[in-house]
Amino acid sequence: MAKYLKITLSILMISVIIISCKKDSPVDEDGLLITFRQECFVSNFELLGSDFVTVRAATAVIDTVAQTINVTVNPGTDLKNVYPQFTLATDCKLDPKITGKTDLSNLTSPKIYTVVSGNRKIRKPYTLNIKF
Amino acid sequence: MRNKNIQFPVLILIMLTSMLACTKQEYTIPDPVAQLTNDCIKRTIGPSIVSLPLEFAYAMALPKINGKLVSAEVEASIAGASGTYLENRSFYTNSSGVDVPVTVGTPSTTVDKITKVTFSVDTNASTLRYYYVIPEAARGQSVSFTFTANSSDGKKATYKMGPYAISKMSIVKNLAVSNGANAFISIEDMAVYNATAAATNAGKIDLVYLYRATPTTFTHALVSPAADVAYLPGVTLPTGVNRSVKLRKTFGLQDRNLSNLQYGIYVDDIDFQQLDMVDMPNYALGLKAESGVWVETIDKKYRAYIFVNSINAAGTAVISILRYTL
Repeated sequence: MAKYLKITLSILMISVIIISCKKDSPVDEDGLLITFRQECFVSNFELLGSDFVTVRAATAVIDTVAQTINVTVNPGTDLKNVYPQFTLATDCKLDPKITGKTDLSNLTSPKIYTVVSGNRKIRKPYTLNIKF
Repeated sequence: MRNKNIQFPVLILIMLTSMLACTKQEYTIPDPVAQLTNDCIKRTIGPSIVSLPLEFAYAMALPKINGKLVSAEVEASIAGASGTYLENRSFYTNSSGVDVPVTVGTPSTTVDKITKVTFSVDTNASTLRYYYVIPEAARGQSVSFTFTANSSDGKKATYKMGPYAISKMSIVKNLAVSNGANAFISIEDMAVYNATAAATNAGKIDLVYLYRATPTTFTHALVSPAADVAYLPGVTLPTGVNRSVKLRKTFGLQDRNLSNLQYGIYVDDIDFQQLDMVDMPNYALGLKAESGVWVETIDKKYRAYIFVNSINAAGTAVISILRYTL
Protein backbone atom coordinates (compact mmCIF):
# COMPACT_ATOMS: atom_id res chain seq x y z
CA MET A 1 0.00 0.00 0.00
CA ALA A 2 2.77 2.41 1.02
CA LYS A 3 4.63 1.53 -2.17
CA TYR A 4 1.64 2.57 -4.32
CA LEU A 5 1.29 5.76 -2.32
CA LYS A 6 4.96 6.65 -2.95
CA ILE A 7 4.65 6.01 -6.69
CA THR A 8 1.51 8.13 -6.89
CA LEU A 9 3.13 10.99 -4.99
CA SER A 10 6.26 10.84 -7.17
CA ILE A 11 4.20 11.04 -10.37
CA LEU A 12 2.24 13.94 -8.92
CA MET A 13 5.41 15.86 -8.00
CA ILE A 14 7.00 15.32 -11.42
CA SER A 15 3.77 16.51 -13.09
CA VAL A 16 3.74 19.67 -10.96
CA ILE A 17 7.37 20.36 -11.84
CA ILE A 18 6.76 19.88 -15.56
CA ILE A 19 3.69 22.09 -15.51
CA SER A 20 5.40 24.83 -13.51
CA CYS A 21 8.33 24.92 -15.93
CA LYS A 22 6.19 25.22 -19.01
CA LYS A 23 6.94 28.34 -20.98
CA ASP A 24 3.62 30.11 -21.42
CA SER A 25 4.73 33.55 -22.70
CA PRO A 26 7.03 33.73 -25.72
CA VAL A 27 9.82 36.27 -25.71
CA ASP A 28 11.97 37.52 -28.56
CA GLU A 29 15.77 37.55 -28.90
CA ASP A 30 15.93 40.65 -26.68
CA GLY A 31 13.96 39.00 -23.92
CA LEU A 32 10.94 41.19 -24.67
CA LEU A 33 7.43 39.78 -24.53
CA ILE A 34 5.89 38.91 -27.91
CA THR A 35 2.27 39.94 -27.77
CA PHE A 36 -0.71 39.78 -30.09
CA ARG A 37 -0.58 43.49 -31.00
CA GLN A 38 -0.30 44.47 -34.64
CA GLU A 39 0.01 48.25 -34.20
CA CYS A 40 3.26 49.45 -35.72
CA PHE A 41 4.00 53.17 -35.83
CA VAL A 42 6.01 56.06 -34.37
CA SER A 43 3.86 58.34 -32.23
CA ASN A 44 6.45 60.91 -31.16
CA PHE A 45 10.03 61.86 -31.89
CA GLU A 46 12.55 63.91 -29.94
CA LEU A 47 16.15 64.85 -30.68
CA LEU A 48 18.46 65.83 -27.83
CA GLY A 49 21.90 67.43 -27.96
CA SER A 50 24.95 66.43 -25.92
CA ASP A 51 23.52 68.42 -23.01
CA PHE A 52 20.28 66.40 -23.26
CA VAL A 53 18.35 69.53 -24.20
CA THR A 54 16.22 69.43 -27.33
CA VAL A 55 17.81 70.64 -30.57
CA ARG A 56 14.51 70.74 -32.47
CA ALA A 57 13.46 74.09 -33.88
CA ALA A 58 9.88 72.81 -34.25
CA THR A 59 7.80 69.74 -33.49
CA ALA A 60 8.84 66.73 -35.57
CA VAL A 61 6.40 65.88 -38.38
CA ILE A 62 5.65 62.16 -38.41
CA ASP A 63 3.92 60.72 -41.47
CA THR A 64 2.80 57.20 -40.63
CA VAL A 65 1.64 56.56 -44.20
CA ALA A 66 4.80 57.70 -45.96
CA GLN A 67 6.76 56.41 -42.97
CA THR A 68 8.90 59.50 -42.60
CA ILE A 69 9.96 61.71 -39.73
CA ASN A 70 10.90 65.26 -40.70
CA VAL A 71 12.76 67.32 -38.13
CA THR A 72 14.07 70.87 -38.34
CA VAL A 73 16.94 71.51 -35.93
CA ASN A 74 18.44 74.69 -34.52
CA PRO A 75 21.21 76.38 -36.51
CA GLY A 76 24.61 75.16 -35.40
CA THR A 77 23.36 71.86 -33.99
CA ASP A 78 26.17 69.32 -33.80
CA LEU A 79 24.48 66.36 -35.46
CA LYS A 80 27.44 64.08 -34.80
CA ASN A 81 26.52 63.95 -31.15
CA VAL A 82 22.77 63.70 -30.72
CA TYR A 83 20.39 61.40 -28.92
CA PRO A 84 17.25 60.47 -30.91
CA GLN A 85 14.23 59.35 -28.89
CA PHE A 86 11.31 57.49 -30.47
CA THR A 87 7.93 56.91 -28.86
CA LEU A 88 6.37 53.78 -30.38
CA ALA A 89 3.00 52.07 -30.36
CA THR A 90 2.45 49.66 -27.45
CA ASP A 91 4.77 46.61 -27.41
CA CYS A 92 6.70 47.77 -30.48
CA LYS A 93 10.48 47.92 -30.64
CA LEU A 94 13.03 49.70 -32.81
CA ASP A 95 15.66 48.31 -35.12
CA PRO A 96 18.49 49.31 -34.96
CA LYS A 97 18.42 49.99 -31.25
CA ILE A 98 19.52 53.39 -29.98
CA THR A 99 22.17 52.72 -27.38
CA GLY A 100 23.52 56.24 -26.87
CA LYS A 101 25.16 59.04 -28.78
CA THR A 102 24.24 58.85 -32.48
CA ASP A 103 25.80 60.42 -35.56
CA LEU A 104 23.10 61.88 -37.81
CA SER A 105 25.38 64.32 -39.61
CA ASN A 106 25.10 62.68 -43.04
CA LEU A 107 22.09 64.61 -44.28
CA THR A 108 22.33 63.26 -47.84
CA SER A 109 21.84 59.71 -46.62
CA PRO A 110 19.07 59.81 -43.99
CA LYS A 111 19.03 57.06 -41.40
CA ILE A 112 16.26 54.49 -41.50
CA TYR A 113 14.81 53.08 -38.30
CA THR A 114 12.45 50.11 -38.49
CA VAL A 115 9.52 49.79 -36.10
CA VAL A 116 8.63 46.18 -35.26
CA SER A 117 5.12 45.42 -34.01
CA GLY A 118 4.27 43.70 -30.72
CA ASN A 119 3.62 40.38 -32.46
CA ARG A 120 6.98 40.80 -34.26
CA LYS A 121 5.34 40.09 -37.63
CA ILE A 122 5.05 43.63 -39.01
CA ARG A 123 8.10 45.79 -39.76
CA LYS A 124 7.80 49.40 -40.92
CA PRO A 125 10.92 51.36 -41.89
CA TYR A 126 10.81 55.08 -41.06
CA THR A 127 13.16 57.51 -42.77
CA LEU A 128 14.55 60.21 -40.49
CA ASN A 129 14.97 63.44 -42.46
CA ILE A 130 16.81 66.25 -40.70
CA LYS A 131 17.25 69.77 -41.95
CA PHE A 132 18.47 73.07 -40.56
CA MET B 1 11.24 3.05 23.07
CA ARG B 2 14.80 4.07 22.25
CA ASN B 3 13.55 7.06 20.22
CA LYS B 4 11.49 8.36 23.11
CA ASN B 5 14.52 8.17 25.39
CA ILE B 6 16.49 10.36 23.00
CA GLN B 7 13.74 12.83 22.16
CA PHE B 8 13.14 13.95 25.75
CA PRO B 9 16.72 15.00 26.60
CA VAL B 10 17.01 16.75 23.21
CA LEU B 11 13.84 18.70 23.93
CA ILE B 12 15.16 19.76 27.34
CA LEU B 13 18.48 20.78 25.79
CA ILE B 14 16.74 22.98 23.19
CA MET B 15 14.63 24.65 25.88
CA LEU B 16 17.67 25.36 28.03
CA THR B 17 19.55 26.81 25.08
CA SER B 18 16.60 29.06 24.26
CA MET B 19 16.43 30.30 27.83
CA LEU B 20 20.13 31.01 27.96
CA ALA B 21 20.03 32.82 24.65
CA CYS B 22 17.35 35.14 25.96
CA THR B 23 19.23 36.16 29.09
CA LYS B 24 19.22 39.92 29.38
CA GLN B 25 22.66 41.41 29.71
CA GLU B 26 22.77 44.21 32.22
CA TYR B 27 23.84 47.62 30.93
CA THR B 28 26.91 48.98 32.58
CA ILE B 29 27.62 52.66 32.70
CA PRO B 30 30.89 53.32 30.90
CA ASP B 31 33.76 54.73 32.88
CA PRO B 32 33.87 58.50 32.72
CA VAL B 33 36.76 60.00 30.83
CA ALA B 34 39.51 60.51 33.37
CA GLN B 35 42.11 62.24 31.24
CA LEU B 36 42.65 64.59 28.33
CA THR B 37 40.89 63.24 25.24
CA ASN B 38 40.29 64.56 21.75
CA ASP B 39 38.33 63.93 18.57
CA CYS B 40 38.23 65.38 15.10
CA ILE B 41 35.99 65.47 12.03
CA LYS B 42 36.64 66.74 8.53
CA ARG B 43 33.90 69.20 7.60
CA THR B 44 34.82 69.75 3.96
CA ILE B 45 33.38 67.33 1.45
CA GLY B 46 34.13 67.05 -2.24
CA PRO B 47 37.49 67.12 -3.97
CA SER B 48 40.47 68.85 -2.33
CA ILE B 49 41.53 71.58 -4.74
CA VAL B 50 44.65 73.71 -4.54
CA SER B 51 43.84 77.22 -3.21
CA LEU B 52 40.61 76.09 -1.53
CA PRO B 53 40.48 75.35 2.23
CA LEU B 54 40.02 72.03 3.99
CA GLU B 55 38.02 72.54 7.16
CA PHE B 56 38.25 70.43 10.31
CA ALA B 57 36.60 70.64 13.73
CA TYR B 58 38.96 69.56 16.51
CA ALA B 59 37.42 68.87 19.92
CA MET B 60 39.38 68.40 23.14
CA ALA B 61 38.37 68.05 26.80
CA LEU B 62 39.58 66.89 30.18
CA PRO B 63 37.88 66.52 33.60
CA LYS B 64 37.77 69.81 35.47
CA ILE B 65 39.67 68.37 38.44
CA ASN B 66 42.61 67.54 36.17
CA GLY B 67 43.18 71.15 35.09
CA LYS B 68 42.55 73.20 31.98
CA LEU B 69 43.47 73.30 28.32
CA VAL B 70 46.76 75.05 27.60
CA SER B 71 47.24 74.87 23.85
CA ALA B 72 46.16 73.18 20.64
CA GLU B 73 48.17 72.71 17.50
CA VAL B 74 47.97 71.09 14.10
CA GLU B 75 50.86 69.78 12.08
CA ALA B 76 50.27 69.29 8.36
CA SER B 77 52.49 66.99 6.32
CA ILE B 78 52.81 69.79 3.74
CA ALA B 79 52.84 73.39 4.95
CA GLY B 80 49.54 75.15 4.21
CA ALA B 81 49.26 78.15 1.92
CA SER B 82 48.69 81.69 3.11
CA GLY B 83 45.38 81.88 4.95
CA THR B 84 45.83 78.64 6.89
CA TYR B 85 44.75 79.09 10.49
CA LEU B 86 43.36 77.45 13.59
CA GLU B 87 40.37 79.23 15.11
CA ASN B 88 40.97 80.88 18.47
CA ARG B 89 37.23 80.92 19.03
CA SER B 90 34.88 78.16 20.05
CA PHE B 91 31.29 78.27 18.73
CA TYR B 92 27.92 77.46 20.20
CA THR B 93 24.59 77.57 18.41
CA ASN B 94 22.02 79.96 19.87
CA SER B 95 18.26 79.54 19.88
CA SER B 96 18.03 81.15 16.43
CA GLY B 97 20.38 78.58 14.96
CA VAL B 98 23.24 81.04 14.63
CA ASP B 99 26.77 79.98 15.50
CA VAL B 100 28.03 82.38 18.15
CA PRO B 101 31.79 82.63 18.71
CA VAL B 102 33.47 82.72 22.11
CA THR B 103 37.12 83.69 22.12
CA VAL B 104 39.13 81.10 24.02
CA GLY B 105 42.69 81.78 22.92
CA THR B 106 45.12 84.04 21.16
CA PRO B 107 45.00 84.16 17.34
CA SER B 108 46.85 81.23 15.85
CA THR B 109 50.42 81.42 14.69
CA THR B 110 51.75 79.31 11.86
CA VAL B 111 55.40 78.35 11.62
CA ASP B 112 56.15 76.15 8.62
CA LYS B 113 53.87 73.11 9.01
CA ILE B 114 52.60 73.83 12.53
CA THR B 115 49.67 76.06 13.41
CA LYS B 116 49.14 76.73 17.11
CA VAL B 117 46.63 78.38 19.44
CA THR B 118 47.38 79.10 23.10
CA PHE B 119 44.33 79.19 25.34
CA SER B 120 43.78 82.49 27.15
CA VAL B 121 40.73 81.48 29.20
CA ASP B 122 40.26 78.87 31.89
CA THR B 123 38.43 76.13 30.01
CA ASN B 124 38.52 72.36 30.10
CA ALA B 125 36.61 71.70 26.88
CA SER B 126 36.73 73.33 23.48
CA THR B 127 36.20 72.71 19.78
CA LEU B 128 38.39 74.66 17.40
CA ARG B 129 38.06 74.78 13.65
CA TYR B 130 41.09 74.42 11.45
CA TYR B 131 41.27 75.83 7.94
CA TYR B 132 44.06 74.46 5.81
CA VAL B 133 44.49 76.29 2.52
CA ILE B 134 45.83 73.72 0.08
CA PRO B 135 49.18 74.89 -1.29
CA GLU B 136 50.50 74.45 -4.82
CA ALA B 137 53.14 72.07 -3.43
CA ALA B 138 50.40 69.59 -2.52
CA ARG B 139 48.91 69.29 -6.02
CA GLY B 140 48.56 65.62 -6.93
CA GLN B 141 50.04 64.60 -3.55
CA SER B 142 48.36 63.47 -0.37
CA VAL B 143 48.34 65.42 2.85
CA SER B 144 47.73 64.31 6.44
CA PHE B 145 47.35 66.12 9.73
CA THR B 146 48.25 65.55 13.38
CA PHE B 147 46.10 67.44 15.88
CA THR B 148 47.51 67.84 19.38
CA ALA B 149 46.01 69.20 22.59
CA ASN B 150 48.02 70.05 25.73
CA SER B 151 46.57 70.40 29.20
CA SER B 152 47.83 72.04 32.39
CA ASP B 153 48.45 68.64 34.05
CA GLY B 154 51.17 68.00 31.48
CA LYS B 155 49.16 65.54 29.44
CA LYS B 156 49.02 65.48 25.66
CA ALA B 157 46.41 64.01 23.31
CA THR B 158 46.90 63.54 19.59
CA TYR B 159 44.58 62.69 16.71
CA LYS B 160 45.69 61.83 13.19
CA MET B 161 43.59 62.70 10.14
CA GLY B 162 44.18 61.69 6.56
CA PRO B 163 45.92 61.11 4.28
CA TYR B 164 43.76 63.05 1.85
CA ALA B 165 44.44 63.01 -1.89
CA ILE B 166 44.83 66.48 -3.36
CA SER B 167 43.27 66.96 -6.77
CA LYS B 168 45.23 67.86 -9.87
CA MET B 169 42.54 70.38 -10.74
CA SER B 170 42.92 74.16 -10.70
CA ILE B 171 40.07 76.52 -10.13
CA VAL B 172 39.29 80.11 -11.09
CA LYS B 173 35.95 81.63 -10.22
CA ASN B 174 33.81 84.49 -11.46
CA LEU B 175 35.57 85.69 -14.59
CA ALA B 176 33.61 88.40 -16.39
CA VAL B 177 33.41 88.03 -20.16
CA SER B 178 31.83 90.48 -22.57
CA ASN B 179 31.01 90.44 -26.23
CA GLY B 180 33.64 92.24 -28.28
CA ALA B 181 35.72 93.30 -25.27
CA ASN B 182 36.96 90.80 -22.68
CA ALA B 183 36.10 87.95 -24.98
CA PHE B 184 39.24 85.86 -25.38
CA ILE B 185 39.65 82.94 -22.99
CA SER B 186 42.85 81.05 -22.30
CA ILE B 187 42.58 77.62 -20.69
CA GLU B 188 46.33 77.50 -20.06
CA ASP B 189 46.28 80.81 -18.19
CA MET B 190 42.72 80.36 -16.90
CA ALA B 191 42.18 83.99 -17.74
CA VAL B 192 40.15 86.29 -19.96
CA TYR B 193 41.81 88.82 -22.26
CA ASN B 194 40.73 91.70 -24.43
CA ALA B 195 41.81 91.88 -28.08
CA THR B 196 45.08 93.68 -27.33
CA ALA B 197 46.15 91.25 -24.63
CA ALA B 198 44.95 88.34 -26.75
CA ALA B 199 47.26 89.40 -29.56
CA THR B 200 50.24 89.22 -27.23
CA ASN B 201 49.08 85.82 -25.89
CA ALA B 202 47.84 84.51 -29.23
CA GLY B 203 49.24 81.02 -28.72
CA LYS B 204 47.24 80.57 -25.54
CA ILE B 205 43.80 81.74 -26.69
CA ASP B 206 41.43 78.77 -26.89
CA LEU B 207 37.99 80.31 -26.96
CA VAL B 208 36.09 83.41 -27.96
CA TYR B 209 33.00 84.47 -26.07
CA LEU B 210 30.35 86.12 -28.20
CA TYR B 211 26.72 87.07 -27.98
CA ARG B 212 24.29 87.36 -30.89
CA ALA B 213 20.61 88.03 -30.30
CA THR B 214 19.75 86.44 -33.64
CA PRO B 215 19.27 83.67 -34.40
CA THR B 216 17.55 83.19 -31.07
CA THR B 217 19.32 79.89 -30.51
CA PHE B 218 22.77 81.49 -30.82
CA THR B 219 22.76 83.96 -27.89
CA HIS B 220 25.74 83.29 -25.59
CA ALA B 221 28.42 81.18 -27.21
CA LEU B 222 31.95 79.88 -26.72
CA VAL B 223 33.64 79.30 -30.04
CA SER B 224 37.15 78.20 -30.98
CA PRO B 225 39.08 80.73 -33.03
CA ALA B 226 39.57 77.97 -35.63
CA ALA B 227 35.84 77.22 -35.92
CA ASP B 228 33.87 77.81 -39.10
CA VAL B 229 33.30 81.54 -39.67
CA ALA B 230 29.57 80.86 -39.54
CA TYR B 231 29.99 80.50 -35.78
CA LEU B 232 32.06 83.69 -35.48
CA PRO B 233 29.77 86.20 -37.21
CA GLY B 234 31.29 89.66 -37.31
CA VAL B 235 34.29 88.65 -35.21
CA THR B 236 37.73 89.90 -36.17
CA LEU B 237 40.31 87.73 -34.51
CA PRO B 238 43.57 89.27 -33.28
CA THR B 239 46.61 88.27 -35.27
CA GLY B 240 47.79 84.77 -34.48
CA VAL B 241 44.66 83.72 -32.59
CA ASN B 242 43.83 80.48 -34.39
CA ARG B 243 43.69 77.58 -31.93
CA SER B 244 40.93 74.99 -31.77
CA VAL B 245 39.42 73.09 -28.85
CA LYS B 246 36.80 70.40 -28.51
CA LEU B 247 33.68 71.45 -26.66
CA ARG B 248 30.84 69.47 -25.16
CA LYS B 249 27.80 71.26 -23.79
CA THR B 250 26.21 70.02 -20.62
CA PHE B 251 23.30 71.11 -18.49
CA GLY B 252 22.46 70.48 -14.86
CA LEU B 253 26.06 70.09 -13.71
CA GLN B 254 26.34 72.90 -11.18
CA ASP B 255 29.61 72.16 -9.44
CA ARG B 256 29.46 73.38 -5.84
CA ASN B 257 32.78 75.18 -5.97
CA LEU B 258 32.13 76.84 -9.31
CA SER B 259 28.59 77.86 -8.40
CA ASN B 260 29.76 79.64 -5.25
CA LEU B 261 28.60 76.89 -2.86
CA GLN B 262 25.03 76.74 -4.11
CA TYR B 263 24.67 73.06 -5.05
CA GLY B 264 25.81 69.68 -3.83
CA ILE B 265 27.43 68.41 -7.02
CA TYR B 266 31.19 68.10 -7.47
CA VAL B 267 33.30 67.73 -10.58
CA ASP B 268 36.32 65.61 -9.67
CA ASP B 269 39.52 64.36 -11.29
CA ILE B 270 37.84 61.14 -12.39
CA ASP B 271 35.29 63.09 -14.45
CA PHE B 272 38.09 64.58 -16.52
CA GLN B 273 39.88 61.25 -16.79
CA GLN B 274 36.81 59.46 -18.13
CA LEU B 275 35.50 62.28 -20.31
CA ASP B 276 34.64 61.24 -23.87
CA MET B 277 35.52 64.08 -26.21
CA VAL B 278 35.74 62.07 -29.42
CA ASP B 279 34.09 63.81 -32.39
CA MET B 280 33.04 66.82 -30.34
CA PRO B 281 32.63 70.14 -32.18
CA ASN B 282 34.76 73.25 -31.67
CA TYR B 283 31.87 75.54 -30.80
CA ALA B 284 29.07 75.69 -28.24
CA LEU B 285 26.09 77.91 -28.97
CA GLY B 286 23.04 78.84 -26.93
CA LEU B 287 24.64 78.70 -23.49
CA LYS B 288 22.31 79.41 -20.60
CA ALA B 289 22.89 80.41 -17.02
CA GLU B 290 24.12 77.44 -14.95
CA SER B 291 24.94 75.42 -18.02
CA GLY B 292 28.48 74.28 -18.69
CA VAL B 293 30.94 73.23 -21.33
CA TRP B 294 33.59 70.52 -21.17
CA VAL B 295 36.72 71.55 -23.00
CA GLU B 296 39.71 69.65 -24.34
CA THR B 297 42.58 71.61 -25.81
CA ILE B 298 43.80 70.51 -29.20
CA ASP B 299 47.24 69.56 -27.84
CA LYS B 300 45.44 67.37 -25.25
CA LYS B 301 47.38 69.12 -22.53
CA TYR B 302 44.32 70.29 -20.62
CA ARG B 303 40.73 69.39 -20.03
CA ALA B 304 38.48 71.93 -18.39
CA TYR B 305 34.94 72.52 -17.28
CA ILE B 306 33.62 76.02 -17.85
CA PHE B 307 30.54 76.83 -15.79
CA VAL B 308 28.31 79.74 -16.75
CA ASN B 309 27.46 81.47 -13.47
CA SER B 310 25.24 84.11 -15.02
CA ILE B 311 24.36 85.69 -18.34
CA ASN B 312 23.12 89.08 -19.38
CA ALA B 313 21.20 89.92 -22.53
CA ALA B 314 23.48 92.92 -23.01
CA GLY B 315 26.15 90.44 -24.08
CA THR B 316 28.03 89.72 -20.90
CA ALA B 317 28.43 86.66 -18.75
CA VAL B 318 30.27 85.43 -15.69
CA ILE B 319 32.09 82.13 -15.99
CA SER B 320 34.15 79.90 -13.70
CA ILE B 321 36.73 77.34 -14.76
CA LEU B 322 37.95 74.03 -13.38
CA ARG B 323 41.02 72.81 -15.24
CA TYR B 324 42.68 69.40 -15.20
CA THR B 325 46.16 68.84 -16.59
CA LEU B 326 46.34 65.62 -18.57
